Amino acid sequence: MAVTFIGVRHHSPACARLVRDTVRRLRPAYVLVEGPADFGGRVDELLLGHEPPVAVYSYYRDAERVHSSWSPFCGYSPEWVALNEGRAAGAELRFIDLPAWHPAFAGRSNRYADAERRYTEVTERLCREFAVDNTDILWDHLFEIDTGGAAERLDAYFALLRGEAEAGEDDTARESYMAEWVRAAAADAGDRPVVVVTGGFHKPALEALTASRDGASGGTGWPGVPEPPEDATGGSFLVPYSFRRLDAFTGYQSGMPSPEYYRRVWEDGPESAAGALIETVVGRLRERKQVVSTADLIAARTLTEGLTRLRGHPAPARTDLLDGLVSALVNDDLDQRLPWTSRGPLAPGAHPAVVEMVAALSGNRVGRLHPDTPAPPLVDHAAAELERLRLDRDGPVALKLTTPRGLERSRALHRLRVLRIPGIERDSGPATGADPVLEERWVLDGSDHGGHRLSALIEAGAYGPTLEDAAAAVLDERMNGAGTDMERLADVLFDAALCGCAGQSDRIAESIAAGIAGASDIGALGAALAAVLGLWRHDRVLGTARSPLFGTVIAECVTRVLWLAEGVRGGPAPADLQRLRAVAATRDALLHAAGPLRLDRDAALGVALRVAAEPGAPPDLRGAAFGLGRALGDTSDPARAVRGAAGPQTFGDWLAGLFALARQEVLDPDASVLGVLDELVGALSDEDFLVALPALRQAFEFFPPRERESIAQGLLDRRGLQGSARALLRTPDAPLLTAEARALEARVDQALSSAGLLLDERSEPGGEGGRPLADNTEES
Amino acid sequence: MSDDYQRPPAEVRFAAELERLRADDSGPVPPGWALSLTAARRFIVGDDALGVRRKFVGDTSLIDRALVTLATSRGLMLVGEPGTAKSLLSELIAAAVSGASTLTIQGGAATTEDQIKYSWNYALLVSEGPSTRSLVPAPLLTGMAEGKVVRFEEITRCPLEVQDALLSPLSDRVLAIPELSGAVARGRGGSSPHTGQSAVAGGRGGSSPRTGQSTDAMVFARDGFNVIATANTRDRGVNEMSAALKRRFNFETVFPIADFATELDLVEQEAARLLEHSGVRAAPRRDVLEVLVTAFRELRNAATEDGRSMDRLSAVMSTAEAVSVAHQVGVRGWFLRGEAGGAADIVECLAGTAAKDSPEDLARLRRYLEQQAPRRGGEQWKALHAARHLLPG
Repeated sequence: MAVTFIGVRHHSPACARLVRDTVRRLRPAYVLVEGPADFGGRVDELLLGHEPPVAVYSYYRDAERVHSSWSPFCGYSPEWVALNEGRAAGAELRFIDLPAWHPAFAGRSNRYADAERRYTEVTERLCREFAVDNTDILWDHLFEIDTGGAAERLDAYFALLRGEAEAGEDDTARESYMAEWVRAAAADAGDRPVVVVTGGFHKPALEALTASRDGASGGTGWPGVPEPPEDATGGSFLVPYSFRRLDAFTGYQSGMPSPEYYRRVWEDGPESAAGALIETVVGRLRERKQVVSTADLIAARTLTEGLTRLRGHPAPARTDLLDGLVSALVNDDLDQRLPWTSRGPLAPGAHPAVVEMVAALSGNRVGRLHPDTPAPPLVDHAAAELERLRLDRDGPVALKLTTPRGLERSRALHRLRVLRIPGIERDSGPATGADPVLEERWVLDGSDHGGHRLSALIEAGAYGPTLEDAAAAVLDERMNGAGTDMERLADVLFDAALCGCAGQSDRIAESIAAGIAGASDIGALGAALAAVLGLWRHDRVLGTARSPLFGTVIAECVTRVLWLAEGVRGGPAPADLQRLRAVAATRDALLHAAGPLRLDRDAALGVALRVAAEPGAPPDLRGAAFGLGRALGDTSDPARAVRGAAGPQTFGDWLAGLFALARQEVLDPDASVLGVLDELVGALSDEDFLVALPALRQAFEFFPPRERESIAQGLLDRRGLQGSARALLRTPDAPLLTAEARALEARVDQALSSAGLLLDERSEPGGEGGRPLADNTEES
Repeated sequence: MSDDYQRPPAEVRFAAELERLRADDSGPVPPGWALSLTAARRFIVGDDALGVRRKFVGDTSLIDRALVTLATSRGLMLVGEPGTAKSLLSELIAAAVSGASTLTIQGGAATTEDQIKYSWNYALLVSEGPSTRSLVPAPLLTGMAEGKVVRFEEITRCPLEVQDALLSPLSDRVLAIPELSGAVARGRGGSSPHTGQSAVAGGRGGSSPRTGQSTDAMVFARDGFNVIATANTRDRGVNEMSAALKRRFNFETVFPIADFATELDLVEQEAARLLEHSGVRAAPRRDVLEVLVTAFRELRNAATEDGRSMDRLSAVMSTAEAVSVAHQVGVRGWFLRGEAGGAADIVECLAGTAAKDSPEDLARLRRYLEQQAPRRGGEQWKALHAARHLLPG
């Protein structure tokens, strides 16, 4: 038989060229391509004449798992070229790999990721041997630039990779399935040639599996396409794709980077790709008002030339170009490693020249599907859902979230809203997790203005086949994108709650956790924590009570708030209410969620005690930490701590911190806190009292009126006075007037005593200095 | 001859390797270079076939860019955090390119132009007037005249106007000695221009382009001359560089070792060497070193390995510091208790390294030990956490 195996790296123009030449030369009867077999009957859809990049999107859902993945094709993908050239040569086209829903693909979102990425030892050795920094550079060095004799070198390379690496079970399952197809096609083709295009990592195994046609490994009948289990839903359809998304796969999911560069290599060859890219980079930089002089360009050109020769390339390779440009254009120290050396994504704050270089190589090309392509299932599904829920009409709709049907309708509308489908507007409804609003008002406009709605639905179709899946995928993307911005994260999480999508996502828990772990704004963290804690603890309406995703968020936020709190330094400053709320939210989480979420209360107590005792920490935070410690079971004497915080500059702020966390300490009649406070305030001099007053007022604002009254009562009792505590809370005159009167009196006293008309000691025992605390509450 | 030197220069230490590379060198050699670019690269990144050791753990592409830069008309500026082996790299490159790494200017607040360009033998100057005999060449002049690489260490520690002495040597590739032009014009001094006494005369050999002036007054750079400067990112702001000078350099940032395993290996190897030298007979424990290197990396990157951001320490947490702490840990363990040293010793030594004299750093370190250390599994991390009280203050 004449089976020609071509082992390729996905998205490699050199491999695409090899495929093209082979198919043209052999004019095979069959071209078999590594791709989802369940899409095999619809290969024609792929050949309608789309503008790549496009992708086959596959989804799957059963009781246990939800999985979605992409098989992306660019114009220079070997698989794409194999299909197009195969069709042109009159060959039968087949996809021969397992469907994307198959357990062998569990956890993979990019079918065309580099398989050998999972087996790094041998590639690391090769990189050392060739003295290059990573496998992308190695690949360019070996194959993309010098294309003579590529087939043999590719064989040797992949044989080496496969020979050293122990393939996993998943690979073995896929390979034996692909081998069945190869045997069947070979048998059917008879003498005519068959071309098999698969990932190079699988090629040696496929050759071995098909070498003995009559061997024990199976017959030559066409294999069936595996069917998903009964209770599962799944399918595949075509979606437009983009270079940006193609380049955004990271880790095990990633394939070849820099799609725009390789597109140019495929179309024009490396020399002109290099020239065009220098032009693009310089154009982009100048657009952003970065200086790129002619001298810089000459230097970049010279350096690229030099690097090309030093590395023995016949034409500049991708990194020769990038290295030349970076040497010439960057006249500062960098604060992160170059992304093409470290193979990592760019972190914020990268040098603008580097950012533009990476962006120029990545490109912003977006694929377009041919108009005859069948619409994605979401379009029909959305229409059916709206009809079923009687939402396919215009005008206002009022929903009760407390009824199952109301909730279902609300969720459908929210899902459409997060998918940005036009004609769906919410007028009112709960605005945060803590909002006790149980009704929503919407205004619907079902008329399709100029096809906007349909095109929005088709676009959203790339995220999933149903409203729920698509909304969940969009929310996932937004959560990933929120990064360390806690406000955005809180928004997305609330949207997830409204859409009923807060339950399932384990996949993004990690990236959310990473975002929280990098957040630095303690106030925003606290706000997010408070909102999510509310949803996690109470929300039975939206069904988010005990949601594991929210649980993760809470646990991470608590850890992070404690970490940040211990690092805050600062002298006396007005109490930072957001920060205090963050500590309060942390206390709530520790008190109410510590068990189920396994939060470490002892560690938190340790932090609280250290912050409370840290003289360098701001007073409000120290007070709050002291309150947190009390709430977590610390038994140190609050009266003593209050005394320790005395000082007119810091006193009020410290109390604000304490009251934000632990008001009960003051109200408790057994505790001596009130007495100590009374004594301390009473001992303040006039000047000091004025300094302390604003902060004290703010501190006591944490008490609701009823509690303020009981404090006033306590003060009366201490003095053994009768009277209305409530009356103490109100003064007949405006506080400003009172203050002015006092100031005037003081001035008069001063004038009198300087004229010798007043005995000096008069002001001392009389009582201005002995002002009781009641004065303060009076004015607040 | 170099047996009793503490640290002979790279060209002496690796003379045999350089010799093998030279014998094996088939690539085109840039004018004025001792080796081809490929051979120079192999000298630094290693070549098992020739028995050339890898001497710099870092990105290979950095070496490529550095070498190609030196072959062009721009100087090479190595910048980076302290302790990232910038000076070692510059020494290795100079040894590979010119066969000599000793034309070195050490930058500092007190560096003057004399130490960069040339000065005079004042006894001769007084008795004979300015002449090539009384001229004392400094590294820059020698490098230009002989066509060799000149190293300028810590350039940003020099005042701006002193740095700018490099401008015309780098752009016009010429160094003027105005005193000598006067000497010939007035016919004073009486010395022959070609006494062979100085590097200037010896190197140039009278082949300077005709300028209408005295040939001694202008020193034109020979092929092979270039400058490798190093600058420390911590010193930024002490003395900035002028934009004019920046343009004449290509910047290369040298990063701390990216790969954990590589750094751990390096620390283990270096620490073991130092410990042996100190008479410690217990090899450092791998699990202790793992904790040490992880802690150093995390404190250096201001983020934990799982991506939690932290505050950056103001102290330098370089690999070199990690080696020195590993050394101290070993010495403590062995001479105090007769064993290899453990996590508690790390805490004691860290206090001296990481928190040298800054209470803020000490607080950051304490917070790290309090809150991050217990999150890790493993016996040594537990021990590290347990030993947190050993931090002073």
